[in-house]
Amino acid sequence: MAAGMLTKAICGLRCPRFAAAALSCSSQSYSTAALPKAVLTPSDNTADQNKLLNVPLSHPDFFRVSELFSLKDLFDARVHLGHKKGCRHRLMEPYLFGSRLDTDVIDLEQTVPHLQQALNFTAHVAFRGGIILFVSRYRQFGHLVERTARECGEYAHTRYWQGGLLTNATIQYGPGVRLPDLIIFLSTLNNVFQTHVAIRDAAKMNIPTVGVVDTNCNPSLITYPVPANDDTPAAMELYCRLFKVTINRAKDKRKQLELLKGLGPSTTSS
Amino acid sequence: MAGSRLEKFGTVFTRVRDLIRAGVVKEKDKPIWYDVYAAFPPKRPPLYVKPQTRVFVKTEDNVPEIFYKEDAIRAKFYETYGNGPKMIDLSRSTFVSSCQRFVEKYNELQSTGGFEEDALFEETSKALLAEGILLRRKGVPAVAPEPRDPVLGMKLTEMLAEEQQANTAAPDTTAAAAVENTASVDNTTSTTATPEQTQTETLATDANKPS
Repeated sequence: MAAGMLTKAICGLRCPRFAAAALSCSSQSYSTAALPKAVLTPSDNTADQNKLLNVPLSHPDFFRVSELFSLKDLFDARVHLGHKKGCRHRLMEPYLFGSRLDTDVIDLEQTVPHLQQALNFTAHVAFRGGIILFVSRYRQFGHLVERTARECGEYAHTRYWQGGLLTNATIQYGPGVRLPDLIIFLSTLNNVFQTHVAIRDAAKMNIPTVGVVDTNCNPSLITYPVPANDDTPAAMELYCRLFKVTINRAKDKRKQLELLKGLGPSTTSS
Repeated sequence: MAGSRLEKFGTVFTRVRDLIRAGVVKEKDKPIWYDVYAAFPPKRPPLYVKPQTRVFVKTEDNVPEIFYKEDAIRAKFYETYGNGPKMIDLSRSTFVSSCQRFVEKYNELQSTGGFEEDALFEETSKALLAEGILLRRKGVPAVAPEPRDPVLGMKLTEMLAEEQQANTAAPDTTAAAAVENTASVDNTTSTTATPEQTQTETLATDANKPS
């Protein structure tokens, strides 16, 4: 049953992506005979395409993600609450404000720019038609994460992580699989309080990660860590809402710009 | 697509950058996130950090403890009055607990009046009492127990025996009255009253005889 859930959760990784797979992962596509050939775009179209993709990179906050939340919102959602002093991870010490009667308090002044960077990166990746995978093994919020992924048209994996999911993907899912371009961790630990295997696997497969790291997590391998609380429902709902809004915003912007330029839907967009 | 699975060396970005530079990964096969990372790099490069081997010397704690000046007042409050009369409701962000009100009043009195420390504590308690907050000291019960009815402590049989001994020296009418009285007071001794009555009568006649 777990395997069935797994395939259902990541079924989208394979099905609508073969055309894109043919373009991007050229060495792996053995099954191109049955698929529609990728349309070769004319040269001025590619120049326009490049401009479309590169213009947002010149703005520091093209998608205005810093307007989505404030420090007060984070405080009200109890994002600053950490675990007890005994559970603290050595590498999380620079992100802590202090400890009040042995309970760690995360420095929200640092969390705000980290979260802004994470949301900005997510928005740009979504704008460029990247596949985003939400991972969280926190059972209390499994349904919330899956619902968030469905509402923004991306993917989620909140069940048991099989060892070779990313590293052995071509054999588990067949050749020509397109792997996610970004993995968002809403909780970096698994059910036995160890670091989730997907963090190491994503680093192995050269996939950038965005992760909410609590005071008992290891932030070293995560590309864009966000030091924040991952145990309170209010905080988790806030993150899910923020990611959903940024991804939808980025995708809408993409559609809007394409219509403006008269390019039509490109083959790499979602 | 070629890749590098060495997560312990360099970051995701450096590995892909070097692959592109070496020509193994073509420009058109560049990953989607590569340009975005180049434009907006993270604050700290995501390098792998080796887990620290057993630390034999206790390293200093870099995380400061959070304490406020008012904590001294709060500690004294909780020591004297326990948890306080009002339950703390954290769902409201503008909630003021009884301890917090105590602290505010304490600071007020400290700045305005010229009290000493011990007196200041009592003064704030009185001030809060005036405002309507009843602070109960820890360990002392709320209401003093009712004193036991002293009547329940009396032993009536002993009292009756004492009365009878007093009555044998007295004259007839008074003795009879006393006997009736004792009979009416204590019904259980009614059976003993009649022999006593005859006893007192005989005693009385004996007393009257020699006179």
